[in-house]
Amino acid sequence: MSIVSPDSARLPQARSLGSQILRDLAVLVLLAIASLAAGLVMNRFSPSPLPIVYQAPEQRFDAELTTLVAAAPFKIAPAATVGLEEFRSAVESKSALILDARPSVFFGQGHVPGALNLARDDFAHDYRDLAGVLQDAHDKPIIVYCSGGECHDSRLVANALLSLGFGNVSVFTGGWDAWSAAGLPASTGSGR
Amino acid sequence: MMPADNSRRNYAALAVSIAVAAIFIYAGIDKIRDPLQFADSTAAFAILPAVLINLLALGLPPFEVACGVLLLAPRTRRVAALAVAAVTLMFFTALASALLRGLTLDCGCFGVGAPSRPRMWMELVLDAGLFSAALFVYLRSITRLSAPAS
Repeated sequence: MSIVSPDSARLPQARSLGSQILRDLAVLVLLAIASLAAGLVMNRFSPSPLPIVYQAPEQRFDAELTTLVAAAPFKIAPAATVGLEEFRSAVESKSALILDARPSVFFGQGHVPGALNLARDDFAHDYRDLAGVLQDAHDKPIIVYCSGGECHDSRLVANALLSLGFGNVSVFTGGWDAWSAAGLPASTGSGR
Repeated sequence: MMPADNSRRNYAALAVSIAVAAIFIYAGIDKIRDPLQFADSTAAFAILPAVLINLLALGLPPFEVACGVLLLAPRTRRVAALAVAAVTLMFFTALASALLRGLTLDCGCFGVGAPSRPRMWMELVLDAGLFSAALFVYLRSITRLSAPAS
Protein backbone atom coordinates (compact mmCIF):
# COMPACT_ATOMS: atom_id res chain seq x y z
CA MET A 1 0.00 0.00 0.00
CA SER A 2 1.39 3.36 -0.98
CA ILE A 3 0.85 6.61 0.85
CA VAL A 4 -0.24 9.57 -1.37
CA SER A 5 0.55 12.98 0.07
CA PRO A 6 -1.84 15.92 -0.61
CA ASP A 7 0.95 17.67 -2.54
CA SER A 8 1.24 14.83 -5.00
CA ALA A 9 -2.26 15.65 -6.23
CA ARG A 10 -0.90 18.97 -7.45
CA LEU A 11 1.89 17.41 -9.46
CA PRO A 12 1.96 18.33 -13.18
CA GLN A 13 0.92 14.87 -14.26
CA ALA A 14 -2.37 15.36 -12.42
CA ARG A 15 -3.26 18.46 -14.38
CA SER A 16 -5.65 18.07 -17.22
CA LEU A 17 -4.30 18.48 -20.72
CA GLY A 18 -6.85 21.21 -21.47
CA SER A 19 -5.88 23.46 -18.59
CA GLN A 20 -2.18 23.03 -19.44
CA ILE A 21 -2.81 24.13 -23.04
CA LEU A 22 -4.74 27.15 -21.76
CA ARG A 23 -1.84 28.10 -19.49
CA ASP A 24 0.56 27.74 -22.41
CA LEU A 25 -1.66 29.97 -24.54
CA ALA A 26 -1.66 32.60 -21.80
CA VAL A 27 2.16 32.54 -21.71
CA LEU A 28 2.12 32.80 -25.50
CA VAL A 29 0.03 35.98 -25.33
CA LEU A 30 2.44 37.48 -22.76
CA LEU A 31 5.37 36.58 -25.01
CA ALA A 32 3.65 38.28 -27.95
CA ILE A 33 3.05 41.45 -25.92
CA ALA A 34 6.67 41.49 -24.70
CA SER A 35 7.90 40.99 -28.30
CA LEU A 36 5.76 43.87 -29.56
CA ALA A 37 7.11 46.09 -26.78
CA ALA A 38 10.69 45.08 -27.70
CA GLY A 39 9.97 45.79 -31.38
CA LEU A 40 8.57 49.24 -30.59
CA VAL A 41 11.59 50.10 -28.43
CA MET A 42 14.02 48.99 -31.16
CA ASN A 43 12.05 51.03 -33.69
CA ARG A 44 12.21 54.08 -31.42
CA PHE A 45 16.03 54.00 -31.52
CA SER A 46 16.32 52.93 -35.18
CA PRO A 47 18.01 55.41 -37.56
CA SER A 48 15.00 55.06 -39.90
CA PRO A 49 12.00 54.24 -37.69
CA LEU A 50 8.74 53.00 -39.16
CA PRO A 51 5.64 55.11 -38.55
CA ILE A 52 2.97 53.35 -36.50
CA VAL A 53 0.57 53.32 -39.46
CA TYR A 54 1.89 51.65 -42.62
CA GLN A 55 2.50 53.74 -45.73
CA ALA A 56 2.57 52.07 -49.14
CA PRO A 57 5.70 52.64 -51.30
CA GLU A 58 3.75 55.16 -53.46
CA GLN A 59 2.74 57.13 -50.36
CA ARG A 60 6.34 57.11 -49.11
CA PHE A 61 7.57 58.34 -52.50
CA ASP A 62 4.99 61.12 -52.52
CA ALA A 63 6.02 62.16 -49.01
CA GLU A 64 9.68 62.12 -50.05
CA LEU A 65 8.94 64.22 -53.14
CA THR A 66 6.89 66.66 -51.10
CA THR A 67 9.77 67.00 -48.64
CA LEU A 68 12.14 67.77 -51.51
CA VAL A 69 10.20 70.92 -52.43
CA ALA A 70 9.40 71.97 -48.88
CA ALA A 71 12.76 73.58 -48.03
CA ALA A 72 12.74 77.08 -46.63
CA PRO A 73 13.86 79.64 -49.28
CA PHE A 74 17.10 80.47 -47.44
CA LYS A 75 18.07 76.79 -47.52
CA ILE A 76 17.74 76.46 -51.29
CA ALA A 77 21.06 75.69 -52.94
CA PRO A 78 21.87 78.01 -55.83
CA ALA A 79 20.95 76.35 -59.15
CA ALA A 80 22.41 77.35 -62.53
CA THR A 81 20.46 80.13 -64.19
CA VAL A 82 19.77 81.20 -67.78
CA GLY A 83 18.79 84.60 -69.17
CA LEU A 84 15.89 85.48 -71.46
CA GLU A 85 17.77 85.12 -74.74
CA GLU A 86 19.18 81.72 -73.87
CA PHE A 87 15.78 80.59 -72.62
CA ARG A 88 14.02 81.85 -75.76
CA SER A 89 16.54 80.05 -77.94
CA ALA A 90 15.99 76.79 -76.03
CA VAL A 91 12.19 77.16 -76.35
CA GLU A 92 12.30 77.87 -80.08
CA SER A 93 14.81 75.14 -80.90
CA LYS A 94 13.11 72.69 -78.48
CA SER A 95 16.58 71.75 -77.28
CA ALA A 96 15.51 71.68 -73.63
CA LEU A 97 12.57 70.41 -71.63
CA ILE A 98 10.75 73.48 -70.28
CA LEU A 99 8.97 73.11 -66.94
CA ASP A 100 6.58 75.60 -65.39
CA ALA A 101 6.71 75.40 -61.58
CA ARG A 102 3.69 77.65 -60.94
CA PRO A 103 0.35 76.33 -59.65
CA SER A 104 -1.79 74.74 -62.39
CA VAL A 105 -4.34 77.58 -62.36
CA PHE A 106 -1.70 80.12 -63.47
CA PHE A 107 -0.23 77.63 -65.94
CA GLY A 108 -3.70 77.25 -67.50
CA GLN A 109 -4.08 81.02 -67.90
CA GLY A 110 -0.86 81.33 -69.89
CA HIS A 111 2.51 79.60 -70.20
CA VAL A 112 5.57 79.35 -72.43
CA PRO A 113 4.75 77.28 -75.57
CA GLY A 114 5.80 73.65 -75.15
CA ALA A 115 6.23 73.95 -71.37
CA LEU A 116 4.92 71.25 -69.05
CA ASN A 117 3.43 72.00 -65.64
CA LEU A 118 5.47 70.57 -62.76
CA ALA A 119 3.91 72.68 -60.03
CA ARG A 120 5.86 73.12 -56.82
CA ASP A 121 2.66 73.00 -54.74
CA ASP A 122 1.57 69.68 -56.29
CA PHE A 123 5.02 68.32 -57.02
CA ALA A 124 4.48 64.66 -56.06
CA HIS A 125 1.32 64.35 -58.17
CA ASP A 126 2.73 66.19 -61.20
CA TYR A 127 6.06 64.38 -60.98
CA ARG A 128 4.30 61.01 -61.17
CA ASP A 129 2.15 62.25 -64.06
CA LEU A 130 5.24 63.39 -65.97
CA ALA A 131 7.45 60.46 -64.97
CA GLY A 132 7.59 59.09 -68.53
CA VAL A 133 8.45 62.45 -70.16
CA LEU A 134 11.01 63.23 -67.47
CA GLN A 135 12.64 59.84 -67.83
CA ASP A 136 12.89 60.31 -71.61
CA ALA A 137 14.48 63.72 -71.03
CA HIS A 138 16.92 62.48 -68.41
CA ASP A 139 20.02 63.49 -70.37
CA LYS A 140 18.44 66.55 -71.97
CA PRO A 141 18.78 70.07 -70.50
CA ILE A 142 15.83 71.02 -68.29
CA ILE A 143 14.89 74.65 -67.66
CA VAL A 144 12.43 75.53 -64.92
CA TYR A 145 10.63 78.83 -64.50
CA CYS A 146 7.98 80.31 -62.24
CA SER A 147 6.42 83.78 -62.05
CA GLY A 148 9.73 85.60 -62.00
CA GLY A 149 11.16 88.19 -59.68
CA GLU A 150 11.27 86.84 -56.14
CA CYS A 151 9.48 83.53 -56.79
CA HIS A 152 11.16 80.46 -55.29
CA ASP A 153 9.12 77.70 -56.92
CA SER A 154 11.45 77.25 -59.92
CA ARG A 155 14.54 76.94 -57.71
CA LEU A 156 12.79 74.46 -55.38
CA VAL A 157 11.66 72.31 -58.31
CA ALA A 158 15.09 72.55 -59.99
CA ASN A 159 16.85 71.43 -56.80
CA ALA A 160 14.34 68.62 -56.29
CA LEU A 161 15.07 67.39 -59.83
CA LEU A 162 18.81 67.58 -59.17
CA SER A 163 18.27 65.52 -56.00
CA LEU A 164 16.34 62.97 -58.06
CA GLY A 165 19.32 62.48 -60.34
CA PHE A 166 18.64 64.84 -63.24
CA GLY A 167 22.04 66.24 -64.12
CA ASN A 168 21.36 69.28 -66.32
CA VAL A 169 18.77 71.47 -64.64
CA SER A 170 18.75 75.27 -64.65
CA VAL A 171 16.39 78.07 -63.76
CA PHE A 172 15.08 80.88 -65.95
CA THR A 173 14.99 83.57 -63.28
CA GLY A 174 13.04 86.10 -65.37
CA GLY A 175 10.11 83.69 -65.31
CA TRP A 176 6.69 84.21 -66.79
CA ASP A 177 6.80 87.96 -66.07
CA ALA A 178 9.92 88.51 -68.22
CA TRP A 179 8.60 86.22 -70.99
CA SER A 180 5.23 87.94 -71.27
CA ALA A 181 6.72 91.45 -70.83
CA ALA A 182 8.90 90.77 -73.87
CA GLY A 183 5.74 90.10 -75.90
CA LEU A 184 6.75 86.55 -76.68
CA PRO A 185 4.11 83.94 -77.69
CA ALA A 186 2.08 82.18 -75.04
CA SER A 187 -0.07 79.07 -74.81
CA THR A 188 -3.09 78.52 -72.61
CA GLY A 189 -4.83 75.46 -71.18
CA SER A 190 -3.56 72.51 -69.21
CA GLY A 191 -1.13 71.49 -71.94
CA ARG A 192 -1.89 67.79 -71.37
CA MET B 1 6.13 2.22 -24.33
CA MET B 2 9.64 0.81 -24.51
CA PRO B 3 12.25 2.99 -22.77
CA ALA B 4 14.56 2.83 -25.82
CA ASP B 5 11.73 3.99 -28.06
CA ASN B 6 10.94 6.79 -25.63
CA SER B 7 14.55 7.90 -25.55
CA ARG B 8 14.73 7.88 -29.34
CA ARG B 9 11.66 10.14 -29.49
CA ASN B 10 13.22 12.49 -26.97
CA TYR B 11 16.33 12.80 -29.13
CA ALA B 12 14.15 13.33 -32.19
CA ALA B 13 12.25 16.11 -30.41
CA LEU B 14 15.56 17.72 -29.38
CA ALA B 15 16.93 17.55 -32.94
CA VAL B 16 13.71 18.99 -34.39
CA SER B 17 13.75 21.77 -31.77
CA ILE B 18 17.31 22.76 -32.66
CA ALA B 19 16.54 22.81 -36.40
CA VAL B 20 13.34 24.85 -35.98
CA ALA B 21 15.11 27.21 -33.53
CA ALA B 22 17.86 27.87 -36.09
CA ILE B 23 15.30 28.68 -38.81
CA PHE B 24 13.30 30.98 -36.54
CA ILE B 25 16.31 32.85 -35.17
CA TYR B 26 17.60 33.38 -38.72
CA ALA B 27 14.18 34.49 -40.01
CA GLY B 28 13.64 36.83 -37.05
CA ILE B 29 17.03 38.52 -37.31
CA ASP B 30 16.59 38.92 -41.07
CA LYS B 31 13.29 40.74 -40.49
CA ILE B 32 14.66 42.88 -37.65
CA ARG B 33 17.36 44.14 -40.04
CA ASP B 34 14.78 45.39 -42.55
CA PRO B 35 11.34 45.87 -40.97
CA LEU B 36 10.19 48.07 -43.86
CA GLN B 37 10.73 45.23 -46.34
CA PHE B 38 8.75 42.89 -44.12
CA ALA B 39 5.98 45.50 -43.78
CA ASP B 40 5.79 45.79 -47.59
CA SER B 41 5.64 41.99 -47.89
CA THR B 42 2.87 41.87 -45.28
CA ALA B 43 0.92 44.62 -47.07
CA ALA B 44 1.10 42.68 -50.34
CA PHE B 45 -1.13 39.98 -48.81
CA ALA B 46 -3.95 42.58 -48.58
CA ILE B 47 -5.26 40.99 -45.39
CA LEU B 48 -4.37 43.40 -42.58
CA PRO B 49 -5.43 47.07 -42.35
CA ALA B 50 -2.64 49.68 -42.57
CA VAL B 51 -2.84 50.35 -38.84
CA LEU B 52 -1.79 46.76 -38.00
CA ILE B 53 0.87 46.14 -40.67
CA ASN B 54 3.75 48.02 -39.05
CA LEU B 55 2.85 46.69 -35.60
CA LEU B 56 3.15 43.15 -37.00
CA ALA B 57 6.37 44.06 -38.81
CA LEU B 58 7.86 45.36 -35.56
CA GLY B 59 6.48 42.76 -33.15
CA LEU B 60 6.75 39.50 -35.07
CA PRO B 61 10.55 39.44 -35.64
CA PRO B 62 11.47 39.67 -31.91
CA PHE B 63 8.75 37.07 -31.27
CA GLU B 64 10.40 34.71 -33.76
CA VAL B 65 13.84 35.20 -32.22
CA ALA B 66 12.35 34.63 -28.75
CA CYS B 67 10.67 31.44 -29.97
CA GLY B 68 13.97 30.20 -31.39
CA VAL B 69 15.91 30.92 -28.20
CA LEU B 70 13.19 29.47 -25.93
CA LEU B 71 13.05 26.30 -28.04
CA LEU B 72 16.65 25.60 -27.07
CA ALA B 73 15.95 25.55 -23.32
CA PRO B 74 14.20 22.40 -22.00
CA ARG B 75 12.10 24.36 -19.49
CA THR B 76 10.64 26.72 -22.11
CA ARG B 77 10.59 24.38 -25.09
CA ARG B 78 6.90 23.48 -24.72
CA VAL B 79 5.58 27.05 -24.88
CA ALA B 80 8.05 27.96 -27.65
CA ALA B 81 6.86 25.00 -29.71
CA LEU B 82 3.26 26.16 -29.31
CA ALA B 83 4.31 29.68 -30.39
CA VAL B 84 6.10 28.32 -33.47
CA ALA B 85 3.02 26.27 -34.35
CA ALA B 86 0.86 29.41 -34.05
CA VAL B 87 3.18 31.53 -36.21
CA THR B 88 3.60 28.91 -38.93
CA LEU B 89 -0.17 28.31 -38.97
CA MET B 90 -0.62 32.07 -39.47
CA PHE B 91 1.94 32.12 -42.33
CA PHE B 92 0.34 29.02 -43.87
CA THR B 93 -3.16 30.52 -43.77
CA ALA B 94 -2.00 33.85 -45.23
CA LEU B 95 -0.03 32.13 -48.02
CA ALA B 96 -2.85 29.72 -48.87
CA SER B 97 -5.29 32.63 -49.01
CA ALA B 98 -2.94 34.59 -51.31
CA LEU B 99 -2.48 31.58 -53.59
CA LEU B 100 -6.25 31.04 -53.77
CA ARG B 101 -6.77 34.71 -54.64
CA GLY B 102 -4.26 34.42 -57.49
CA LEU B 103 -1.73 36.82 -55.93
CA THR B 104 1.96 36.59 -56.77
CA LEU B 105 4.04 38.00 -53.94
CA ASP B 106 7.12 37.65 -51.81
CA CYS B 107 5.98 35.98 -48.59
CA GLY B 108 8.78 37.56 -46.56
CA CYS B 109 8.38 34.64 -44.15
CA PHE B 110 11.97 33.40 -44.29
CA GLY B 111 13.99 36.13 -45.96
CA VAL B 112 13.50 38.45 -48.90
CA GLY B 113 13.04 37.24 -52.46
CA ALA B 114 11.41 38.14 -55.73
CA PRO B 115 7.63 37.64 -55.90
CA SER B 116 7.05 34.19 -57.35
CA ARG B 117 4.25 31.63 -57.15
CA PRO B 118 6.57 28.56 -57.17
CA ARG B 119 8.42 30.13 -54.21
CA MET B 120 5.06 30.71 -52.47
CA TRP B 121 4.21 27.02 -52.87
CA MET B 122 7.64 26.07 -51.50
CA GLU B 123 7.14 28.29 -48.48
CA LEU B 124 3.67 26.83 -47.97
CA VAL B 125 5.24 23.37 -47.79
CA LEU B 126 7.97 24.68 -45.46
CA ASP B 127 5.31 26.20 -43.20
CA ALA B 128 3.42 22.92 -43.13
CA GLY B 129 6.64 21.10 -42.23
CA LEU B 130 7.52 23.58 -39.49
CA PHE B 131 3.98 23.43 -38.11
CA SER B 132 4.14 19.63 -37.95
CA ALA B 133 7.58 19.74 -36.33
CA ALA B 134 6.45 22.28 -33.71
CA LEU B 135 3.30 20.30 -33.00
CA PHE B 136 5.39 17.14 -32.56
CA VAL B 137 7.68 18.90 -30.05
CA TYR B 138 4.71 20.40 -28.20
CA LEU B 139 2.76 17.17 -27.98
CA ARG B 140 5.91 15.32 -26.95
CA SER B 141 6.56 17.86 -24.16
CA ILE B 142 3.00 17.90 -22.91
CA THR B 143 2.77 14.09 -23.00
CA ARG B 144 5.91 13.82 -20.89
CA LEU B 145 4.43 16.36 -18.50
CA SER B 146 1.20 14.44 -18.04
CA ALA B 147 2.82 11.00 -17.97
CA PRO B 148 3.07 9.35 -14.53
CA ALA B 149 6.52 9.70 -12.97
CA SER B 150 8.48 6.44 -13.12
